[in-house]
Amino acid sequence: MSTQYNIPVGAQHISLLEPLHFKFTTENEKIIKTEANVGYVHRGIEQACCSKFKFRQVSFVVGRVCGLCSISHTTCYSQVAEKLLKLDIPKRAKYLRMLVIELDRIHSHLLCLSHVAENSGFEALFMKTMRHREFSMELLEAVCGNRIQYDFSIIGGVARDLRTDVAQSILDKFKIFRPQLDELVDIYKTNWSLSLKNKGIGVLSKEDAIRLNVVGPFARASGLGVDVRNETEELLPWKEVGFEIITDTAGDVHARNMVRLKEIYVSMKIIENIINGLPEGDLISDTKAFPEGEAVNRIEAPRGELFYYAKGNKTQVLERLKIKAPTFSNIPAMVETFTNNEYASVPAIIGSYDPCLSCTSR
Amino acid sequence: MNRIETSFENLKKDIAAFYKPQAHHFITMNGVDLGNDVIEYQWFFCDYAFPSDITMFVTRANVDVQVPSIKNIIVSAWLPEAELVDLLGVNIEDTQKGFVLELDSETAPLRKK
Repeated sequence: MSTQYNIPVGAQHISLLEPLHFKFTTENEKIIKTEANVGYVHRGIEQACCSKFKFRQVSFVVGRVCGLCSISHTTCYSQVAEKLLKLDIPKRAKYLRMLVIELDRIHSHLLCLSHVAENSGFEALFMKTMRHREFSMELLEAVCGNRIQYDFSIIGGVARDLRTDVAQSILDKFKIFRPQLDELVDIYKTNWSLSLKNKGIGVLSKEDAIRLNVVGPFARASGLGVDVRNETEELLPWKEVGFEIITDTAGDVHARNMVRLKEIYVSMKIIENIINGLPEGDLISDTKAFPEGEAVNRIEAPRGELFYYAKGNKTQVLERLKIKAPTFSNIPAMVETFTNNEYASVPAIIGSYDPCLSCTSR
Repeated sequence: MNRIETSFENLKKDIAAFYKPQAHHFITMNGVDLGNDVIEYQWFFCDYAFPSDITMFVTRANVDVQVPSIKNIIVSAWLPEAELVDLLGVNIEDTQKGFVLELDSETAPLRKK
């Protein structure tokens, strides 16, 4: 029998951008067991939202849950609060929320892809992907006034309008970015050395994705077609602006790369459709009501299903706010997917999970 | 949202009868401190075919009562169960403390003081 070695990775590690700890048990360089610890950055945000902040301030607090999908948190919270307040928002605000969510998805997917490239030992591709990502950060700043913490969605609508010159700038920059994205797709799809680290590595089958309730691109790359944008038209009219679901079947690191790259094309199409068909009207609806009762809401963040539960008692402060982040749902699958892979593949697999522990631990 | 009242005695039976892995997505488990040491426990599901329909199983119990685990029915339920043990200080079957919070950190931060 071969000797077994326990190898810790994280909470601070060169291939991990997040404070996540894995303990791998390996035999002949192959992983036979994985344990995970995610509790390094618990900040008590749920408790703060139900004690220190009034419900209208909470959308700014939850925007700080995550630096990568800030808009998903603020929109998801705003929607759940609007349900409690029985508040309808203007159509223009819905379109603008979708626009920023999709711009955010572009930058988040490119960030993930760049880290997969870096963790696969392809540093030049990491730098190239990050360079091409920069335009999406600039556009987010132009639309929202900030590169990271957007504070764009607020209860009742959105905080800023889309200026005509900014809308034109988005369309112009897409014309420049599209051939750059085509080139990235070609590299991620066909590069031989990258394929050695990505194809057939970290495979999650569709059956396991179903069994482990996986969400987001992680699930869609395994053939499980779950995407909240495909499911609910109630609050944001995704299909009206051209949403289409992207799936793959291989379930490996390469498939996750491909799903994310194809989703960037879909996001660009959605944004173009939004700009070309942006309805006229107000940006915000207001009410003097206080939140009452309980409500839930889901939204498709870049990493998958983001879920909020809120309970109000007709006061300024919520009684309970529960946040379930997409990475939280995917951790059981992450732990299982490492098994039977070479230890050397761990960095690329972790990158392909696109974990966000700030969201998960809150 | 479909709200289904259950009890600890019937929880596993009710969820096993309801949950079909090919048809349902388990979203998460939640707990709400209602005061006076009573916790409301909630299990959320959605239907892959009708995803807007969210089903919530609900039951209430005193904080001292051990909560049955549904890990045997839904494998991935171990994570939200571990989170609730730390954040609400409840006792869930076969679930240890210390996954989300360190053992020497503040206990049960989401409980009403």
